[in-house]
Amino acid sequence: MVTLYRPGNGPWHRLPAGPKTALLLLVVLGVCLLPATWWAAAVMAAVCLACYALPGAGLRELGRQLVTVRWIVGLTLAGQLVFLGPESAAANTARVAVACALAALLALTTPATELLETIERAMQPLALLRIDPQRAALTLSVTLSTLPVLAGLARDVREAQRARGGGRSLRHFAMPFLVMALKHADQLGEALVARGVR
Amino acid sequence: MSGVAPGVAPGTAPGIALQGVHVRLGDTDVLRDVTLSLEARTIAVVGENGSGKSTLARLLSGLVAAGDGTVRVLGLDPVRQAAELRRRVAVIFSNPDAQIVMPTVAEDVAFSLRTEKLPRAEKAERVAAALDRFGLAELADRSSHDLSGGQKQLLALCGAFVRRPDLVVADEPTAYLDARNARRVADHLLADASHRLVLVTHDLRLAQRCETAVLVQDGTVTQVGDPAQVIATYEAGIRW
Repeated sequence: MVTLYRPGNGPWHRLPAGPKTALLLLVVLGVCLLPATWWAAAVMAAVCLACYALPGAGLRELGRQLVTVRWIVGLTLAGQLVFLGPESAAANTARVAVACALAALLALTTPATELLETIERAMQPLALLRIDPQRAALTLSVTLSTLPVLAGLARDVREAQRARGGGRSLRHFAMPFLVMALKHADQLGEALVARGVR
Repeated sequence: MSGVAPGVAPGTAPGIALQGVHVRLGDTDVLRDVTLSLEARTIAVVGENGSGKSTLARLLSGLVAAGDGTVRVLGLDPVRQAAELRRRVAVIFSNPDAQIVMPTVAEDVAFSLRTEKLPRAEKAERVAAALDRFGLAELADRSSHDLSGGQKQLLALCGAFVRRPDLVVADEPTAYLDARNARRVADHLLADASHRLVLVTHDLRLAQRCETAVLVQDGTVTQVGDPAQVIATYEAGIRW
């Protein structure tokens, strides 16, 4: 499930979207630059805990976010353990987990509309390359909000397959899912135009 | 064909005028030689599946262009004056899932005001008032996609009405809803006298509540007028 804004009045909620994004990006950048050692892994974990310990976020929320990305964390850890050994594996996995958790913290404490406006402002330089920042930010936002719809469509197709006695055939799943997803894209496009998006 | 119903004050903004309109989609002539002049406030569009009703609705919303003929909606050319049309015409589709753009209810309603140059406080005020009107205020921070079908369609209505449109084009807005929610959505659409309404529907009782009805058969408009008469013609022509 995509992380959603949770209303609140903590320091993270009160911080404007622009400075908050910049601050969290700096923290993630700092975490990325630390060496792959045991103490660095501990520092990364401590930074992440400190960010979530502030009122309005909470360590329980951090736990929920880490559960959400457990497959990414698990695969990263397994791969790194095989090729780099335990110390590097721990540090690099902590890096990935902290980056995911801090990105979630931004989404949890910033309304999507404010986030969209911040992304638009950040993308302004792209206008020099003839990329419309408004459109690029909207694409990102629509992509995120479409994920639950696609998950619902996939569930509908699987249920219809089961109801008709079908097995777990990828081909039988992919075709109807693709058709439904494209139809949804058409309808969503029309709805966006109708709501004033050029 | 013309459908001028009582209750529309003379001299108000022009309604809908189509002259010799053709719409071709792919290899199919979906609308053929449609000529219409509609001034009624609430207009029902009825007809069989595939008759061209939805294409007529999309034509009036500027979502498809006429191949031939002239189209005027509220006095505007939907192609040349598309931006102004978007500002004044709201569209509601049958599938509420396809109309949700933002992750939470309040943000999705606010999205409709994105292109309007209004102070932030006024936008927030209008969003709050619209949510309140449609009974969604308590769900403002809920995930849009977690709502029930009826609530999602009310959210779509809320997103349309927050812009204070002059014309609402609703294409089978009650198709996915149970009787109670269909009634709620219909009441919201029909009760508000501040806008005109074009309602494409298979619900003939709902069509009966409009001032004028338009019967579309095989890509052409075959009758315009009193809903009871139009529905009687439609039902008489159905081959069971």
